Order: sequence, then structure tokens, then C-alpha cells
Amino acid sequence: MAALKVTYIQLDGIEKTIEAEPGQSLMTIARDNMVAGILGDCGGCCSCATCHVYVEPEWLERVGAADEVESSTLDMVSDAHRGNSRLCCQITLRAELDGVRVAVAPSE
Amino acid sequence: MGQSNAETQATACPASGGSLFDLAGSSLTQPEIQAHPNAFYQAMRREDPVHYDEKLGMWLVSRYEDIVTVLRDPLTYSDKHGYAAQYASGFFAEFKEILEREGGGFFPDVIKDDPPAHTRVRRLLEKAFTAHRVASLEPGITTIIAGFVEKLADQAAGGRVVDGVNDFAIPLTISVICEQLGLSHFSADKIKGWSAAVTAQIGRMQNREQMIDNARQICELQNFIIEQMKQREAAPREDMISDLVHAHTDDGGKLSFAEAVSLIRALIIAGNDTTATAIGNLLFILATRPEVAKALQGSAADDRLLNRFVEELLRVAPPVRGLAKMTTREVELGGRKLPEHAHLLVLYASGNDDETHFTCPREVDLNRGNLSSHVAFGVGIHRCVGASLARMEIKVAAREIVKRLGQIRLAVPVEQIRYLPTVATHSIQSLPLTLSRRQ
Repeated sequence: MAALKVTYIQLDGIEKTIEAEPGQSLMTIARDNMVAGILGDCGGCCSCATCHVYVEPEWLERVGAADEVESSTLDMVSDAHRGNSRLCCQITLRAELDGVRVAVAPSE
Repeated sequence: MGQSNAETQATACPASGGSLFDLAGSSLTQPEIQAHPNAFYQAMRREDPVHYDEKLGMWLVSRYEDIVTVLRDPLTYSDKHGYAAQYASGFFAEFKEILEREGGGFFPDVIKDDPPAHTRVRRLLEKAFTAHRVASLEPGITTIIAGFVEKLADQAAGGRVVDGVNDFAIPLTISVICEQLGLSHFSADKIKGWSAAVTAQIGRMQNREQMIDNARQICELQNFIIEQMKQREAAPREDMISDLVHAHTDDGGKLSFAEAVSLIRALIIAGNDTTATAIGNLLFILATRPEVAKALQGSAADDRLLNRFVEELLRVAPPVRGLAKMTTREVELGGRKLPEHAHLLVLYASGNDDETHFTCPREVDLNRGNLSSHVAFGVGIHRCVGASLARMEIKVAAREIVKRLGQIRLAVPVEQIRYLPTVATHSIQSLPLTLSRRQ
């Protein structure tokens, strides 16, 4: 299957566009490509909130909302939590997300 | 409320000016400092943030920022070598010999390895502890915990004194982890003894006689684990020991026998010891801070608030005080030049108490915006893999306690509460309480 594109907007303003195969999480892709600010300490368990991103508004609907478990982890970073917050370990890259754009959220 | 001067001083907010603490004449090996460490931590953060503790022979890392720096750089600050130098310190050769002779072998802790070896095993464990999987366990664990709260209330009937640690926190967490591992017939007393024996190996406070006794207990634990593994090798079951015995790692291989023994040992011990400490601390806070107890009693059904309370409890009273690292090269940390092979104790508890990162750090504040940035679970590649399970157990314990119990009081003056002699954790040894059912 053809590679899909994901763009991460780092806190320093640099945009990194990465080509990746579907099926991986946006956290894994970011970590493998040294996107600054995406740490993924817990390895994708949805328990540490170190892969927090803001989904660009035009992509929100296709990406979807956080479920209850993810929301409660996001609540722990309340200073930075916004309506378009997601933990990107919970977003799996798939065809309809080709070109998706997310901004790295500030860490505490 | 009988707090020590140090605790009172740190409570005054904003943090008071000069410290009168005698840093040079103090050591973390002193039981009084182990029990009430906050003034010691504060003095280090202010005067000597990477402080050499001569009696302990270790550099104490006390500031939040330096702690995160260390934990984010596992190749410069090796967990493997720091742990090895801490383990059974002073008696290692004899300890190892006992385990090889009587306990099936000496099995180094694979969870304390450095990358890349660590990564392979870590990926395997992560799958067992995702927040979503843990959420699905909540109803079953609630039943177990509610049973323990009811039993505690029965024991306390008529004003009888109960022990919040030994009658409640420890047997409760042992029950939960044994259920996960698939150990249906277990002796809680034995597991309690085994846990103490294992954690004593990084506590730096055991003498030779205690080491021998602890080594024998660990032999017994390992022989128990090996027997359980054999049963599941022959006939797999639906439990975590079977999962580990038959697991395939991402590289397509299997865990070695030694790795599997060490992982199951780590799950039995890590799965109950620190969580039990946290639940003991929960009872201590409910008994000594009535305003916190009152706030929770009005919010037993508010999951969001309970989650925030658990994080703040872990920040204010982290079970793990400090774990060891070792520098693999000369490096500067917090303005201090450290040589290669410097043995460090990373003081998570001091990081959580750092007033430059947490405003009024001694206060329980459920509205902190940076609540989750505490380091009670560690940071980076060794961040606690069981964090979601621990949080959920503590949350359910808090909920069932405030739902079912009324006022909880210390049955002794607060000065009489004793803590385990260890540099690794800050654990209440015994917590005498009186309590009643909620009206």
C-alpha cells in the first residue's frame, strides 16, 4: 500500500511531513522520525500523556474524538488540554487521514 | 497537627526564606531523615542540588529539572549499572551465591536493563497494561476492594483499632496482583515477606544477617515462580504468567527462562509493594487532613475528581523515594561535574516537592494545571509500566473508602507513625486507625 503523509507542527514552528505506512500510530511515526516534543514514554498505553497533540481543525472530524479513557488521561494535563486535544498514540494512520496535520502540544 | 518543623515550614506558602538545616551533618541513611525527609530535600534543592551523601556513597539528585534530565538520558545515566551497584550492596557475592545454590539461579532484573535490551521486554509488558485493558478490569477489582473495605469496617466495629497498612493496603494489593497473574492459591503473608525481602535489596539498610534471611526468602519466591511457570508450560491458562511463559517478543523470539522468572518476580513485587504504600498513604491523608476527606466524601461518584486526587496523592506522597543510576561518562548535572561511574540516587520525592515546579508543593491541590507532571512513576523509558493499574487501584480504594466509611482517625499521635528503614521508598510500616461505617 502506498505511503501516506502526516505533518507534525513542532513547538519551534518547524513542520515535519513524514511518509508512513498505514496501521501505525501517529506517536510511533513521530518517535521514529524524531519529531520534537512527542515522547511516548508509556509506549502507546494511553497512560502518560507525553504524545499530546492538537488536531488541526479541518481534520478533527475525520480523526475523531478521544474516548473516555483517553479523555481522563488528557484531563491530567489540564493546562494544555483543549477541545482539539488528542493523544496521538491513540490515532492510527489510515487512508482517510492521508495528509493529516497535528500540532505538538506544549509539555509541562 | 504534630508535624515536624520541616513540614510546617514547607507548608508555609510561599516557601519560607533561609533554611536552617544542617546539610553537611545529615545523611539519607539516618532513620529520622528517611521518615521525615522534606527539610533535607529542600535544603539540598536550595544549597547543593546534586549533593554527595558520604555515608551513602551516592550523589543525591534533588531538583525537578535535573531529575528529568537524568531520566530522559538513559545512555548517560544507566539504570542497569546504577541498579547493579545498589543491589544487595555490600553483600552481593554472597547474596548471589545463595540464590544460585537454593533459589534456582540468580536472575537479574530485565526491567532494569538499558536500551536496546530493555526495549524488547518493555514492548511486551506494555501490551498487558494499556489504559484501555486496565479500564476493563475495574469492575472486578472494585468487587475485591469493596470486600476489603467491608472487612476492615467489621474489624473496626466497637472502636477496635485496625492497621490500615497490614490489615488493608497490603493484603488488598496482593489480592489484585495475584488475580491478574492467575495465582488462585497464595499465602498473602508469604508474598508480603517476599516483597519486603526483594525491596530490601535496594534499600541500603540491611545488615548481613538480614541479607541472608532476605536471600532465603527470595529463593523461596523464585522456587514458587518456577513451579508456577512449569505448570503453565505444560498446560496454558488464561492468566498473565501463561502469557509471559508463552509470549513472543516483537523480534519473533521468546523470553528466556531467566527473563521470564525475573519478570514474574517483578510483577509480583512491583505490583503490590508500591501500590500498597500508596493506599496506606491514602488512609493516612484521609485520617490527618479532614478537609481532603470531606471533599472526597462529597464526590465519590465524580471520577474526574477522584483521578485528579490520585495524581495529587502520588505527587505529595510518592511511594518510591529514590532509585539509582550510574553515569557512563563524565557529565555536568545541575552545575556539578560528575565523573564516569558516579552512583546517583534520583530523588523522585524531592522532585515532586520542588517549589520551582509545583506552587505550594505541600498542599493537596486538585486544581493544579500541571498535575500529571509529577515524577512518582518516573519519566522516560523506565516510566512505570503498571501506572494505569496502580492509579485505578488507588482510585477505586479511595472511592470505596469514602463511600463506605465515615470518619477515619489515627489511633496514635502522628509522631508515633513509623516508616520502613530504606532509601528506596517512603512507606508507613503500620497505621493504627479507628474508623466507622458511613452513616
